[in-house]
Amino acid sequence: MKKQLLEQILIKKKHKEEFALITNILTGESFIFEKNKKIDKNFEKYSDEINNYFNNKQNGIIENTDIFIDTYLRPVKVIIVGAVHITQYLLDYAKDLNFEIFIIDPRRYFASEKRFPNMNIINKWPIEAFEEIKTDSSSALIALTHDPKIDDPALKHALKNKFFYIGALGSKTTHLNRCQRLKESGFKEEEINSIHGPIGIKLGGKSAPEIALSIIAQLVSETYKS
Amino acid sequence: MKKTIDEKILDEANSWIKANHKVALVTVIKTWGSSPRQVGSKMIVNENGDFSGSVSGGCVESSIIDESLKLLKDNKPFKKIEFKVSNQNAWEVGLACGGEITIYLEIIN
Repeated sequence: MKKQLLEQILIKKKHKEEFALITNILTGESFIFEKNKKIDKNFEKYSDEINNYFNNKQNGIIENTDIFIDTYLRPVKVIIVGAVHITQYLLDYAKDLNFEIFIIDPRRYFASEKRFPNMNIINKWPIEAFEEIKTDSSSALIALTHDPKIDDPALKHALKNKFFYIGALGSKTTHLNRCQRLKESGFKEEEINSIHGPIGIKLGGKSAPEIALSIIAQLVSETYKS
Repeated sequence: MKKTIDEKILDEANSWIKANHKVALVTVIKTWGSSPRQVGSKMIVNENGDFSGSVSGGCVESSIIDESLKLLKDNKPFKKIEFKVSNQNAWEVGLACGGEITIYLEIIN
């Protein structure tokens, strides 16, 4: 592989682009495949198979050929509402996972650069903040303030946009009250039931890093279900 | 598929190159049976035998390092190697876990 190709791959990864690296393992040649872009002429005859692998987000050698496809997927967008103590540990656990994280918190003291250096942190109310983040059914929401003023608008946005994962922090009672409010706002029971509340898988721990670990475990597990 | 994994191996490869190391990139291109690392898994090896990442659960990495050093020394651009299930009675390299893998080694130049 040429150094230049490696650099191109890293730039594409940094820009959260989806692409595949195609290599002929008999000749050592490789090129970057992108959807709807012209395929390198040495690989043209495998165009259909390459597109198939890419569309199925699959890696592997095309049958009866020497062509290897290595697909690079866009990271999963994760929006955390609440720049709280648990959030700091969530970031620690998530740093080696393919997540693109945004933190929303309208409270100035919480959403400070010092607490969250080099992060996408939006010091606005959720409704305004979501205008800056493009979200869809492949996005995830982690709501951690357990303050209805802040969490509820974010939960509503996530439900309307059919996020594949929605989790909300709070006790069982807090969650019951939350479900009641969402019901009164017109959300269907099945939508409300899709919220993971209380958030996280049961590990037993109650400290911030332990709760963060239980949330990340649940999120990864749900990512593979969707 | 590696939905939530973002191995930083390629970033590390780039920083090794920037530090004037010779680097071999090693990728799992095919697996059979219960091989521990999925297709696309990577490791890198430099001319000193330092390595990062993995292509198995530690079963074949030592052999891969030797092969990578040869590749770097002979300045051969690439090589394909297959590893089969190991014979537990022999001191050969293989996959104790019962899987088989094909590995592609290439020099980044």
